Amino acid sequence: MSLKSIFMGLALGLAASVSYGQYNTLHIPDTLSGTTFNLNMRDSFVQFRTGNQTITAGINGAFWGPTLFFNKGDSVHMNVRNYLNDTTTLHWHGFHLPAVMDGGPHQTIPPGAIWRPYWKVTNNASTYWYHPHLHMSTEKQLIEGLGGFIIVRDAAEAALALPRTYGIDDIPLALTSRSFDASNAFTSTSAYGDYMVVNGTMNPQVSLPKQYVRLRILNAEMERGYNLGFSDNRTFYVIGNDGGLLDAPVPVTRVKLLVGERIEILVNLTGDAVGSSIDLKAYNAGFPLGWPGGEPGTTGPFGSLLNNINFNILHINVAAATTGAITALPSSLVSNTYLTAGDATVTRTLNVTDGTPGRPFYFDHANFDLATINHTLQLNTVEKWTVVNNNVFGHSFHIHDIQFKIISRSSGPVNAYESGWKDSYYLGINETVSFVAKFDDYADDIHPFMYHCHMAPHEDGGLMGQFVVRDATGVNNTIKDPADFKVYPNPANDRIYFSFNDPTMQAYYVTITNAVGRTLYMLPRPHLADGIDISKFAQGNYFVQLTDEATKKVITKHFIKQ
Amino acid sequence: MMKQGIVNRLLIAAAIVPAIFLLSFAAISVREVKDFSLKNVDGAMVSLKDYPNAKGFIIVFTCNHCPFAQLYYKRLNELNAKYAAKGVPLLAISSTDTINYEDDSFEKMVLKAKREQLNFPYLYDNTQQVAKDFHAQKTPHAYVIWKVDGKWVVKYSGAIDDNGAHAELANNHYVAAAIDELLAEKEVSIKDTKSIGCQISFRK
Repeated sequence: MSLKSIFMGLALGLAASVSYGQYNTLHIPDTLSGTTFNLNMRDSFVQFRTGNQTITAGINGAFWGPTLFFNKGDSVHMNVRNYLNDTTTLHWHGFHLPAVMDGGPHQTIPPGAIWRPYWKVTNNASTYWYHPHLHMSTEKQLIEGLGGFIIVRDAAEAALALPRTYGIDDIPLALTSRSFDASNAFTSTSAYGDYMVVNGTMNPQVSLPKQYVRLRILNAEMERGYNLGFSDNRTFYVIGNDGGLLDAPVPVTRVKLLVGERIEILVNLTGDAVGSSIDLKAYNAGFPLGWPGGEPGTTGPFGSLLNNINFNILHINVAAATTGAITALPSSLVSNTYLTAGDATVTRTLNVTDGTPGRPFYFDHANFDLATINHTLQLNTVEKWTVVNNNVFGHSFHIHDIQFKIISRSSGPVNAYESGWKDSYYLGINETVSFVAKFDDYADDIHPFMYHCHMAPHEDGGLMGQFVVRDATGVNNTIKDPADFKVYPNPANDRIYFSFNDPTMQAYYVTITNAVGRTLYMLPRPHLADGIDISKFAQGNYFVQLTDEATKKVITKHFIKQ
Repeated sequence: MMKQGIVNRLLIAAAIVPAIFLLSFAAISVREVKDFSLKNVDGAMVSLKDYPNAKGFIIVFTCNHCPFAQLYYKRLNELNAKYAAKGVPLLAISSTDTINYEDDSFEKMVLKAKREQLNFPYLYDNTQQVAKDFHAQKTPHAYVIWKVDGKWVVKYSGAIDDNGAHAELANNHYVAAAIDELLAEKEVSIKDTKSIGCQISFRK
């Protein structure tokens, strides 16, 4: 018996002694709706296990955040306040918006600051999410619990007979897992957690009514993929992908969901007896190496008690039907007009490279660099992107700004269940996948969008690149002197106002800092006509740094709060 | 052949493991800390040398804003009430970067000390130097230091106990146990635990 097998025996003995005990009631995140959203990111703690609490971070709570409801067509305004002990960012995953509002690695929010992005919601009704995206700290901040769902509603979705009573027959499920050390602190020694956590609940159960129910499932893992199915192998119906509803429900018994991907499914519980139960499970046993979570070991940097086994995600208890229950499957959903390969006028190819021992994965041998723009795209262009993964492991490819259509997989036909609008997809080992997308509406020469593997250790390791969308017809590149402005009144009590010497001048960014350098406000493209509220500031000296939209030059002014 | 390899590996493991234990043990047992002079919430400067009769100190790095640190104020009062009389007073130190954390400003420390009726000095480590000297990681992070040959030596570093939210459920009272052992002139059994709470971010 070798030492290694002794250690393995010890590890297995520990695993066998872990008792699951009672189910816990699935947490349904609180909701926020309207057009102004206040999100406070804080350090906190949660009683995950017997004994000491686990240090976490949450948004308006202790772990994970509220579900935000947006209406397509509304302009949404976000007040993101960072009370964490760390700089962070908050990215609106899946949304089509200006790059300066995107919350990627460039839009850092220092501790104590408020970041105020806003945009017009043009995305289709679907399930999106928000999460931190601070380069090289994304995994750490995701593990702490930062993130939340966004549900977009629109007229086309509202016209359909679909379950949409949140928390009753329309359930968000954020799937992830965590490992703990002896003091119950989260650990990140492995890319895979040992214990399933759904919406922040370990070993969860939920009561669902005896009717068609809608599950909005997000893979919120660091790295693990889920091969989803039900314990009785029943057929269920995929109705939506990352960026909208499909043309018609797609019947399946298994669906792969990789990190960052969302899927909306309908589950038919009309034939289930009240009081009966079924389990939503991960059928992750038997995958070859390359499937994330298919590794055989329980310890080490890629070990987990959940690796390469089938395990429970959610225990479902069937309860009585509700009034107004959906009892039939719609035969069709919405009419999508997808782009095709023939629409693309530009093609690009990315290769997943490196990933050799001691070296992370990169795109085309280049480590991610915040100061390097890897691709410059022209506004309103349809592009075909091909990502080649002739490498040792699978990935989850994600691109910001747009929703795309997958047009080919080298491994075989594109699955019907992923035939809709996507922003993330599984890029298997030795696979090449192509998609087409139109890069419209939002040009910005300065702020880039990201494309990356959404597996947090890969993204933090440098498997990420960035692109700007350029408007060649725009005036962004005109060479001229920056305009000037004044802040008044000075000294001020309640609000400061801006007076521009050139009436065409626009603010690209305004930052307000105090005398010791603490950032109080970060305001991308602020509307300044009504001034800025400073009534809650302490007395003292403050600085306004305004970036001129036309020249991107920064002008700093001083004012005194009385 | 195979057997020989295993025996060799076992021998190597047997040699390495105690060496590591001894190293870490040695590192902790001889760690000295320097005296400091920090402003208390009452405005007075406080140093270790102001307590000529102290056998040791409980030094707790804590702060206003951290929710996990907030769970412990009452327990800190109890520790100080019990052990100051035995020559082991408690000093709390806030070393948070107050440029980033307005809630941890000196003015708000004064308010917090009043509201929580803290019965011990709450000191403002404005430059974060004392936290760096102690290698404090989290709030709260407790140390028990003891006077050995006129020097202040770290005898315990880590958590105060093992249950933040439910004091009554704590199984290990690390700080109290360490002091009890030291007062009985015994070796501290648990010298080092992981401090749990909010990361102390050092100003760059």
